[in-house]
Amino acid sequence: MSAAQPSPSFDPTEVRARFALDYIHDRHRRLIAGEEVIVHCHHYNSRIQRTVEGAAGIDGKTIFRSAARNSFVRHIAAGFQDGDPESTRWAVAQELFAELGYGTLDLSDPSSDTVRQTAGHFVEGWGAAFNDEAKPVCTLAEGYIEAAYMAVRGESVEVRETECMHCGASSCGFSVRRGAEAWSPPAISERIEAVSTEADAELAESNIDENAIINAVVGLPIRGGDDGLIPAFGVYLANTPADFYNQVAIEFVEAMTECGQREIASRLLSEAGESCAMNTFRGIMDSAEWEGLVKPMLQNPEDTIFALVALSNAFGWGNWRITEHEPGETLEIVSFNGYEALGFLETRGRASEPQCWMLQGVSAGMMALVYGEGSFSERFGTYLADEHDCIAKGNSVCAFAVEES
Amino acid sequence: MTHRERVYACIHPETYKYYLPRNLVLSTWKRLERQYGAAVTTPGFGVVEIRTPAFLLRSTRMLNPITVIRRRACSSEGLASLHQLLHFDEQAYPAHDSP
Repeated sequence: MSAAQPSPSFDPTEVRARFALDYIHDRHRRLIAGEEVIVHCHHYNSRIQRTVEGAAGIDGKTIFRSAARNSFVRHIAAGFQDGDPESTRWAVAQELFAELGYGTLDLSDPSSDTVRQTAGHFVEGWGAAFNDEAKPVCTLAEGYIEAAYMAVRGESVEVRETECMHCGASSCGFSVRRGAEAWSPPAISERIEAVSTEADAELAESNIDENAIINAVVGLPIRGGDDGLIPAFGVYLANTPADFYNQVAIEFVEAMTECGQREIASRLLSEAGESCAMNTFRGIMDSAEWEGLVKPMLQNPEDTIFALVALSNAFGWGNWRITEHEPGETLEIVSFNGYEALGFLETRGRASEPQCWMLQGVSAGMMALVYGEGSFSERFGTYLADEHDCIAKGNSVCAFAVEES
Repeated sequence: MTHRERVYACIHPETYKYYLPRNLVLSTWKRLERQYGAAVTTPGFGVVEIRTPAFLLRSTRMLNPITVIRRRACSSEGLASLHQLLHFDEQAYPAHDSP
């Protein structure tokens, strides 16, 4: 074993301690090693990947991979400390992958031409939702490994998945090609914070103790276990940089716009959010966590919507507040700092249209889940959400109106 | 006898809540811990959980019912063994039982 390899005696606990969660309560932000992360489940993550990579006429796989590369190169480096030998820096890269919930990546031999993964968040996601499509699915890991080589060694490599557990392999294998086209970590955009913390409209009230829910979620160890996966709420969770989601969505819409498919792109992203709400939240509502803490608070159906919003805030989706709710009919929600709007402002400047596709879809999906009838497919699209104000457009808050379609 | 009801979980479509007879709840958890390791209670939500490579066994502090979420390493043999510990008769509830 060369000096460049992770030390066999490195202490994973010490390395993992560098990634302790910092939750900013007043803004509902989750920071790990100083990077804002968003909690989503394997269902949403695999669906958004399938949406982007499956679109005709664009190179969605490159969009997904480069978003991972660009966001994780900074995140991995944020875990380094002055004086860390290269072996420790590799250990940081390996442990961060597991800590965030993406699975188990073996970076113990960086001089090799192959990297292996024995558990994968996306393998689980595709296995649960899209088992009929047998193709390698670990694009995020490809970008992550490329980011690791850049962060640790400043080396440009090209990583491609050659074997995938989703296709029946016993572990995932990635080829590492040296001498790849050089790339540099992107410049860090100036961070923009929420411009307002007060809604124009009065906030609606419920029987839900949001702080109790948020504190319970924040107290959960949402970090990868022995296999680098995070089973909680009946789903596999992962902590993903907000910058990753934003780059994926923005570049996807831009690429689709070049093909004259802008409307389709925004609708697909919104549908991924709607599907996320129905699948993820349904799993959550059947979970022991829900049974133990949330269910005792519910006194009527509308409380469920408030509880789901509280969970969303704990997951870092944006400081959401319900301003008006007619059970089964309408829902008005504002978001003070949705990551999609702020991310667009940071990287593209003022937008001419709303940008919060995920939140728009989720708000419609929550209504369909709580008040809809029939199977998922029957409920899908039964509520429509309109983001009429968006911080990315210059409004003080993002505002969503949901009604029956 | 233990009975079960199917519930939704994204991790595995074959997810069930197993309802134990009240007089068997504590002894069953002891059997599960002996077989799979100690249960851990998560703070805040109060979920009691045993994690194995094959299963997630989860309940509220009431310890009953137990939600069994199957994982990648779940096998028919492992499932049969678990059912025995749960006093669950597969013959009585045969539907959707492939791991």
